[in-house]
Amino acid sequence: MSKHSALNTFGRSGNPAFTRNFDNTEAFSQSERMTLDGAVNKTAILLGLCFAGAFVGWNVPSLTLPGFIIGTILAFVTIFRNPAKAGSTAPFYAAFEGMALGGITVYAEMQYPGIGIQAIGLTFGILASLLFCYKSGIIKPTENFRLMLFSATMGIMLLYLVSFIMSFFGSGIGFIHSNGLFGIGFSLFVVGIAALNLVLDFDFIEEGAERGLPKYMEWYGAFSLMVTLVWLYIEVLRLLIKLRSR
Amino acid sequence: MNSILFGILTIVSLFIFMNLGKIKASKKQMNRDDRIKWSSRRKPNIHENRDGSKVIEGSAEEVSDKTKH
Repeated sequence: MSKHSALNTFGRSGNPAFTRNFDNTEAFSQSERMTLDGAVNKTAILLGLCFAGAFVGWNVPSLTLPGFIIGTILAFVTIFRNPAKAGSTAPFYAAFEGMALGGITVYAEMQYPGIGIQAIGLTFGILASLLFCYKSGIIKPTENFRLMLFSATMGIMLLYLVSFIMSFFGSGIGFIHSNGLFGIGFSLFVVGIAALNLVLDFDFIEEGAERGLPKYMEWYGAFSLMVTLVWLYIEVLRLLIKLRSR
Repeated sequence: MNSILFGILTIVSLFIFMNLGKIKASKKQMNRDDRIKWSSRRKPNIHENRDGSKVIEGSAEEVSDKTKH
C-alpha cells in the first residue's frame, strides 16, 4: 500500500495517458522495443505536422474552432483507445491542433505584432532547458512531485471549466483573464505547472525505453509530449498578451 | 531584431532537444530509489541460475543462531 491515500484510491497515476499498458512488457525483439531515438524522432514528426497545420490555420483562420474541436476529440481517442493505435491518431491530433494554434496566433498577431515568434521561442526554450535539467539530474521527479503536479493540473482544468460554464451566464472568474498583477501571477503559475509537466513526459519516455516497452509506446510518449507542448504554448501566448496589453 | 532573436532561440532549442533527447539521462537521475513508479509491477531483482536455483540481489547479512529466533 502506498503512503498516499490518493494513490491508493486512483491508482499509480491519475493520467490515463501515462499508465495504460505500461505493464505490457512481454517478450519483444530488440527492434520491436521502444527507444529514446524513436520517441524523439516521432516527436519531431508530430512537431512537423503541427507546424504544417499551423501554416494552414494561419492562412485560413476560420479553421481555428474546427481544428480545436477535432484535435481535442482525437486527443481523447488517443488516450482512451488502445495505445497500440496511437501511431494512427497522434499525427492527426498534431495536424488539427496545429491548425487551431495557427488561427489563434493570427488573431494575437493582429493585435500585438511579433508575439507569435516570441511565444514559439519561449516554449521551445523552456522545452530545451527543462530537458537539460532532467537529463543532468538537476530536477528529480518523484512520486510526491507527480502527485503535486497532478493536483495542480486538475485544479487549473477545473477552474477553466467553471470559468467556461460561467461565461454562458454572462459572468466568469475575472482575475484569470485580467492583465492585472493577479492575472499575470496566475498565468505565470500556470506556465510553471505546464512546464513541469514536461519533466513527467521525459521521465515516462526514459523509463519506457529503459524497460523496453513495445515500439508503439514511442508514439504514445511523443503524443503526451505534444499535448503538454500545445498547452504550454497557449499559456505562454496568454501570458505575453497580458503583459503586452498593460 | 526581436523576431530574429526568438527565431534563433527556437532553432537552437529544437537542435538541443533533437540531440540531448537521444542521450540517456545521467546516473544521478536514473539510479534513485525515489523514482516515479510508472508501473505497478516492478521487475524484482531475481536471477535464475542454469540449475534453476534463484539468486536474489541485495546486501548480504550474516545470520547467527542468536539472531535467528
